[in-house]
This record gives sequence, C-alpha cells and structure tokens, in this order.
Amino acid sequence: MQHEYGADNLTRFILGRLVKAVFILLAILVFNFLLIHAAPGDPAAVMAGEAGAADEKFLADLRTRFGLDQPLYVQLWIYIKGAVQLDLGFSFRQQMPVADLIADRLPATLLLTGVAFVLSLVLGVIAGVAASARQGSWGDTVISTLALLFYATPLFWVALMASLVFSVWLGWLPGFGYSSIGAGYTGLAHVLDVAKHLILPATTLGLFFTAIYMRMTRASMLEVSRLDFVKTARAKGLRRGVIQRRHILRNALLPVITLAGLQAGQIFGGAILTETVFAWPGIGRLMFEAINQRDYNVILGVFYISAAMVLLFNLITDVVYVIVDPRIRLTT
Amino acid sequence: MLKPKNIAAAMMALALSGALAGAATAQDGEPQSGGTLNVVMQPEPPGLMLGLIQNAPTQMVSGDIFESLMRYNFDLSPEPQLAESWEISDDGKTYTFKLRQGVVFHDGEPFTSEDAKWSMDVFLRENNTRTRTYLEHVESIETPDDHTLVFNLKQPFGPFLGIFEAGTAPMLPKHIYDTDDHANNPANNKPIGTGPFKFKEWSKGSYIHFVKNEDYYMDGLPYIDEVYYHIIPDAASRAVAYETGKVDLLPGGAVENFDVPRIRDMDNTCMTEKGFEYFAPHSWMWVNLNNPPLDDVKVRRAMMHALDRDFARDALWNGLGKVATGPVSSATKFYDADTPDIGYDPEKAKALLAESSYNGETIRLLGMPYGETWTRWAEAVKQNLIEIGMNVETIPSDVAGWNQKIADRDFDLAFTYIYQYGDPALGVSRTYMGDNAEPGSPWNNVANYQNAEMDKLWDEAALMADPEARAVAYKTIQDQIVSDVPNLWLLELGFPTIYRCNIKNPVNTAFGVNDGFRFVWIDQD
Amino acid sequence: MRDFWKRFRYNRGAVIGLVILAIVILAAILAPVLFPQSPWKMVQRPFLPPFTQDGLPLGTDALGRDVLSGLAHGAYVSLLVGLVSTIVALAIGVPVGACAGYFAGRVDDALMRFTEFFQTIPSFALAIVLLAIFQPSLTFVIIAIAVVSWPPVARLVRGEVLSLRTREFVEAATLSGLGNTQIILRHILPNALPPIIVLASLMIAQAILLESSLSFLGLGDPNIMSWGYMIGAARTVIRTAWWLSFLPGMAILLTVLALNLIGEGLNDALNPRLTRKSE
Repeated sequence: MQHEYGADNLTRFILGRLVKAVFILLAILVFNFLLIHAAPGDPAAVMAGEAGAADEKFLADLRTRFGLDQPLYVQLWIYIKGAVQLDLGFSFRQQMPVADLIADRLPATLLLTGVAFVLSLVLGVIAGVAASARQGSWGDTVISTLALLFYATPLFWVALMASLVFSVWLGWLPGFGYSSIGAGYTGLAHVLDVAKHLILPATTLGLFFTAIYMRMTRASMLEVSRLDFVKTARAKGLRRGVIQRRHILRNALLPVITLAGLQAGQIFGGAILTETVFAWPGIGRLMFEAINQRDYNVILGVFYISAAMVLLFNLITDVVYVIVDPRIRLTT
Repeated sequence: MLKPKNIAAAMMALALSGALAGAATAQDGEPQSGGTLNVVMQPEPPGLMLGLIQNAPTQMVSGDIFESLMRYNFDLSPEPQLAESWEISDDGKTYTFKLRQGVVFHDGEPFTSEDAKWSMDVFLRENNTRTRTYLEHVESIETPDDHTLVFNLKQPFGPFLGIFEAGTAPMLPKHIYDTDDHANNPANNKPIGTGPFKFKEWSKGSYIHFVKNEDYYMDGLPYIDEVYYHIIPDAASRAVAYETGKVDLLPGGAVENFDVPRIRDMDNTCMTEKGFEYFAPHSWMWVNLNNPPLDDVKVRRAMMHALDRDFARDALWNGLGKVATGPVSSATKFYDADTPDIGYDPEKAKALLAESSYNGETIRLLGMPYGETWTRWAEAVKQNLIEIGMNVETIPSDVAGWNQKIADRDFDLAFTYIYQYGDPALGVSRTYMGDNAEPGSPWNNVANYQNAEMDKLWDEAALMADPEARAVAYKTIQDQIVSDVPNLWLLELGFPTIYRCNIKNPVNTAFGVNDGFRFVWIDQD
Repeated sequence: MRDFWKRFRYNRGAVIGLVILAIVILAAILAPVLFPQSPWKMVQRPFLPPFTQDGLPLGTDALGRDVLSGLAHGAYVSLLVGLVSTIVALAIGVPVGACAGYFAGRVDDALMRFTEFFQTIPSFALAIVLLAIFQPSLTFVIIAIAVVSWPPVARLVRGEVLSLRTREFVEAATLSGLGNTQIILRHILPNALPPIIVLASLMIAQAILLESSLSFLGLGDPNIMSWGYMIGAARTVIRTAWWLSFLPGMAILLTVLALNLIGEGLNDALNPRLTRKSE
C-alpha cells in the first residue's frame, strides 16, 4: 500500500500549509504590535532613566532617533515592511539589530528545547510502551505514578530543586550558564562542556513533556490494542512483540505526534522559565528582559520568530503524520 | 579660613604629592605583573561608549578604557590622571590644567588639549545631559598649547573641580568621533580611549574581554594582562560563579544582599564598602506632595518615624550602609550630621498621625523593580506604615512602568535611590529645587517640594567659591529640609565589593571598580 | 448519582486526590480564622528554621513572616485563581467551540482560525506580555490566564458538538422548530458536559501552575501572598534556607496532583465506556 496521493499532492499540501502559516504570522505581527504599544511605559524614558539623566531634549532626541514620534500606523507599516524582509528593526536597549540579537541567542534556545523535546519524546514513548505492555503491573504503576508527579510539578520549582541538589549539594553538574566561561575549550572539549551545562536545564524542561508523552502513548497503545485489526493480527497468530511494534505502536504514535506538534509553543514557554533559573542565554530570557525594558522590537522579534518556529514545527508534524499514516486525507 | 588663592596652592600640593597614592600599600607586598582578572557584570550594557551611554554597567567597564583629567580619593580630594596639575585663579573663574605628556590613544594617536577641549565642548555638551548642565557655567575653553587646557567660567562654580571623572568628562579621541552621527559611529563598538586596558572582544550575552594596554603612559602599569567581564544575568548564578571560582571579583550590587554573608565568609575572600564615596547612593521614598493628606507635614513626620530603618539595614542590607539623617549623604561634601532627629519611634509616629489630617486614605506605594531586596524592602515599609494605622497598597510595576509612574507622578510613595556625585550642588539640589519639579522626569524634584527661600540658598551655595561659606549655607538648607520631610530618607546604601584576597587593591578611589584596574595586581604565590 | 460516586470511588487515586484537595480547601477557608494576622506581618526574627519555635511550626522567611500562615493564605489565592480563570476560560471557549461545531462551514473556519491563532502564540509568553500591559493585579492575572487557556476548550467543545449535531434528538429538536440557541443550550451542551467537566478539572490544575510561574517571575499581584510568590522570594536564599522554596513548591505539587487525580476519577466516572484519552 503506497502513497496513492503521490508526491504532487504532498507538495501541494505543504504549499497550502505554508500560505496559511504566512497569513497567521502576519496576523500575529499586527496583533502583537498593537498589544505591546498599548502597554504603559515609554522606551525612551527607560533609556533616559538608565542614562541617569533626562531632560526633554534628550527624550525628544531618543524618540526621533527611534521613530517613536511617528503616528502608530506609520510605525506599524514600517515594521511590517521590514519584517517581511526579515529586518526586525533595531533594539533601543542593546544598540544592535534585533535580527542579530536573536540570531545570537536562538541557537542556545534551539539546543535547549530541541534536546528537551527529543529527550521527552523518546523517554515518554519508551515508558508509555513499557507501561502499556503490562497494564496494571508493578512497572506500570511506577511509571504511571511518576508521570502523574512530573505532570503536577511546577517547572521552575523542579529546576530550582535540581540545581540545589545536583549543583550545590552534590556538586556533580554546573548549575547555570551555557559553558564554562573563559575556559577556552575547543572542539570536543567544548561540546562536552556545553553538554554538561545542558543536562540540568534540558532534563527539567523535558520532565513535564515526558509525562505528557508517556501518558498519551500509554493510553493510545491501550486503545489501539483493542481495535479490530489487532485482534485479527492476534488471531493470525503473529507474535506479541511483532504486533506491538508493527501494528500497535505505529498507529498509537499518531495522536502522540499531533500532540507533540501542538506542544511546541508550550516548550518555548517553559524555556522562558528554564532559561531564567539556569541563566541559559537563549531567546526566552531575552524576551523576558526585553518586556521589562519595553524593548518593543526585541519583544516583537522574539514573538515573530517563535511563532514562525511553532508554525514550522506544526508543518513538520503534519508531514510526518502523512508519512506515518498514508491513509490520511490531504487537505489544507 | 582658606582664601581662594590658598586653596589653589593646597590643591597644587595635593596634585604633586598624590601621583601614586592609589598604588599598592606596604602590607600587600611587592606588586606582581601578569594574570587574568575575572569580574562579574550585570546587566549587559547597551554599549561601551561612555560618552554616549552612562548607565551603570557601561560606567563600570569603561573606566578601563576611558579616563578623565582626574581621579578622586575616598575623601573626594582630586588626584592627577590625564592632567598633571591644575591652578585656579583667585577669583575662582579660571581653571588651568596642565596635561600629561606622552599620552596616546589605543590607536596610537597622541592625546592633546584639542581632544580634551573637543570632548567637553562639542561631544559631551551634545551627548551627556549631566555634563551639559555643568558646562553651562563655562564661558569658553582655550588651548594655548597642546598640553594646556583653560576653562573660563561665567561665575565661580563651587563643585567645578569635582566633575573631571571618567563618567562625567571622559576624554575622547577627536580624530575618530568628530563626525556628524555620533550615535552610529562604527568606533562605538570598539571603543578607543587612553585607559590602561584595550577593548578586545565582546561576545554578546557572555563576556567582554579587555587586554593590557602595552603603551600605557604610567610606567609598569597596569599589572594584570587581561580582564574578563562576565555577563551573568541571574543574581543567584553570579553568586555561584564566585563560589565555583569562575569569577574573582563581585562589584557592589552584583549579588543579591541575601547572598553576601555566605560569600563573605568564604576562604580567601575580602570585602570592602569603599569605592562608592563619589556616587554616595542615597535611598529614599518620594512623597507625592500634590496628593493630600501627604501635603500635611505631620503625616510625613509620622511616616518618617514609623520606618524601622535599622531593621531594613540589618535584615536586608546585611548591616551595610548607614541610616540616612537627611537629604545629604555623609560621604558627600558639606554633610551636616546635626539635623533634627528622624529616628524610629512608632509611638511618636502614632501620636503625630492622630494629630494629623490623615483619615484612613489608602496610600499607594511604588517599590523599585530592581531585584528581591527592593521588593522585600517595600513589603517591610508597607508593614511599618500599617503598624501605625495607615492603609497601604503596593502598586505593581516593572522597570518601564516604574520610570513612567514616577515621571507621571502616579504614586503616593515611591522608592528611589540617587547618586550624589560628591557635592550637594551636583547631586542633591536637583531633587529639591522648586523650579526643577516639572513632571516628565523621574530624576528631578519628583515630590514637588516648593520652598522659595531654600531655592535661593541652593543657587547661591553652588556659585560660591569659598568652601567655608558653602558649608554654612548647606547647613541651613539641611536643617530646613529635614524639618519639612518632603521625602522619607532611608539608607545611605552600602554596596560591598567582594573579591579574593589575593587580588590586591581592587578599590583605590572614590569610584571603586568603575575607575578601572590600573593599580590592581594579583598575588600569584 | 450513586453510580457516579461508585465509579469515582473505584479509582483509588481519585479518592486520594479528593482528600488532598479537601485539606487544601479547608486550609484556604480556615486561613483567616487560624491566622487572623496578615501573612505579611513580620512576627519574629528572619530565617527561623521549621520546628524550632512554638507557634511558628514552619519557621519564618527572609523578613520574619510566618511561613505556615503564608501557605494557608496562599492556598486561598491558588484555588481562587485556578477556579475563576477556568470559569472565564470556559466562558470564552465553550461559546466559540459550540458555534464553530454547530454552524460548521464558514463560521467554523473563521472561529477555528481564530483559535489556532491563539494556539500559535506561545501562551506563557503571551501571558507575560498581557501582564506587562495591564500591570499585575489579581484580576488581570486571572484574565491573562484565561485568555491563554481557552483554546483547548473551544477545540474540545467543537468536536463534541460536531458529533452531536447529527444525532437524532438534535434533528428532532430542529424539526420541532426550536431556535439554534435553544438547541445548543438545551440539547447539545448538556450532552457534551462530561468531557468539559473533566477538562475543567485539569485546567484548574494548569491555571494554578501558570499562576505560580507568573508569580515566580514577579508578575503576580504584589499585595497578595501566593505560593509562586513565596518560591520566587525564597529563591535567592535557596542555599541558606532551602525549605522556604521547598515547602510552597510541595504545596503546589500536591494541589495540582490532587486536581489531576480527581480529573481522572471524573473521567472514569463520567465516561465509563471510554478509555481515558489523556488531556
């Protein structure tokens, strides 16, 4: 049973999704722009305040320099025109283009969220399959209980506790930062160094999602195993392991994939907290600081990029979904 | 009483004797060259060009890069830096500086009086609000030769000799910055000054790296080879960075106050409160005098006596700093210790409140959004006021909202702390003078204190050349303002600089680490 | 109803959850009685460890405030925020989902694009921005949480309504001349209620987590003692007084766990024939 819908259909499907994504992105740009400009607080006043002195001329100069004296719709139009060309404007606070700022910080966030995502998906699915294989057994109880606990644990708290135990008390792992500063590691040593710093943030960020994927996999495995075609396979006398892998898992993974796609934005939200606790130099922290400083362009830029990533991720899950389950109808 | 002429002579003597006063003292042993200094910083500065940006992190790092004509000792007396000596005319209106010979910028170009004149007259006048205000007293600047700089003042200006520090009056290279668009000069990203260290690299979000200026004009200085300023955005992480040995120096305010005792008690760890004499960070609560019943002096006195500032200092500031006695810090010139008592006395506070026009109104308290200590402090103050029977509500706010609310006068009580810059005329008068109360700025006379008599005295005191006469005027001012309580003074903040004891001499002037690390050396034994 | 209770009771976890929640609710209700003084009041010297002083079983925090009193008053805030924000989220999500599912076609398309739009924006980031704009008071914390948590409700309700609207009893109601609103309110929604109730119990748990995360970042109402605030405030002293962060964290964990367990029990009790489908 091969792809009856063919490669053309898949391309059209992807293109359709892309067009939709672009419209959502535009809507997000406008929405966020208006939202943020509704906030009280004047970025020029913040900058002037930090400069330690502010008179009206200084403020007026700043406003002119950053175009804050223009009417709102003009600012919006300028912003959208730029954003379409990936020019995300200039950061008042950091004195550099927002695109550069984000490009600087994005890899750290992608690494953190990517590792946390893969980790939680792999662990979650393995644990879910294991639990469902012997429903009601001792192992199932342990795994399910752990999942319940992880699911109920505040992310920022477990991050704090983990850094207290593993970094402060036991001294096993670094409790903050991206790499050992000034150590001058290169090559493999650098990779290992970053990996060591990544362990605590990635595991704590992944904990909640591991729980979700585990529970989803378990439930889905149990549900699929009751379906007719599994009964047929059993009746045919196929071995248990073969049925598990070839028939049940493949079908049970579909809802997990859907969920994973929907969770992308959640992981980014979690990254804001994780990056704060572990001083991880990613865009989550960047955005939180920017909000405090009313650094509009940075906030907008991070929103824009993270929404784009979420949309991209959804698109990828859709495609994976189609590939895993070729029976699905291709609609845009 | 010193006559102006004598003052000039005294200053000359000081200038000549103090050439190396900041250098290593005997018990530290012979200075050693070499080594790397790892310092923590927070937050990441928006840029390093001190002439354009004056926020705290920029001031902290760029003292290594940029210098001014002088440095200032802990008692605020001046020391030569780029100026070798100076003279003040008898009428207090002409200041003549002899500049040091053989000073070059980091790009190899010589530093001359032309650079100095242009920095003050053109660049800073345009880009630094504070410097611009001071220079309003200057009629003209002359450069008779490459190494002489003359300021002609319109009238005597008491604090004038106190403005030549790197943050207020950095000496910038004219050949690089004499362009139309200062803000976008490419050199802003690779600042060039005359200082002991050169800019090497800035890895955003991670560190700023300076290396020794091999051509530095002070012989044998600096001792250390390189300086890393590590940007660690989280306060708890900054503490860990010190504990794990990643950084060796924590400038004042780098770690939360709660972490200070633990770190201070570590092995090989030293701490000093010195190095903030020039800034003399003074904390208080603005009282919005436009809002009744806060216009009633009895309400304000009641609130003042309700505040347990010793508790705040001990529980929140580790016993560092001093309880403020009035508008002027004890580190600032012309401080008067003998002002009316404003100490903690809840019974008196209750009695005063009962006599006052306060009638259960809810007082809106705006805390400072600068970390946990300030949040806790606002909570403690709120409880203090509740104890004497007031109703208090905290207004939530982030940094941007705080600025805006203070500028718009949208509060009843609001925390702040402000630098005093060594002299009441530079850092204190601006927050009490009646004509400086326009809404829109969070740094002027926010409370809207109006006292015409005091305004006149402030003006006169600033324009006197004779320190004795100034002292008399400032005493009158302090007595009057303390009895009016237009603001609720809290603490002279004590910011500890914490460092490994084998780092010698990290704080050697009234500017602390901001002054750069030219005299710092590391004991490597 | 007795059936319901029997099935609920069959789930041991759910019963444990109910017990924990009952304790938390009791603490919230009794807080003003047991601890009549404000939880902000500074009663003793700071950093008193737990179990060292009579009358202060859990010790004091950085300003010498009673930790146990803070936990009890915090319980009230957590439950209030969880409950009210969920109600507001339902008030947005149910109508949107019901309209989308019932009217289908263009209306469905438009409403679902709208929902999708809110799901694409990282919800925690949106909550932070909303609080930055409105300034964090309890009301706006609740609104912010509701605004970011209604989309799953809309999707769930839409799905239920879609499958119910073709049922015979709905067609019968249509033929009898009932208006759309009547049909949705009287015939469709009551039948879609069980999964909504289950979802709501899980949403309360998520709202409590979200509130604590926001307070932890300093975006809570500064006049209100909440668990997230307590952790955020204790964070700086975690090495010298780790219990100050640990205790409120456990309180959150247990409350959220209890609500999740109850949600599962409700699911078993309300949808006896279905295997649970996760959140």
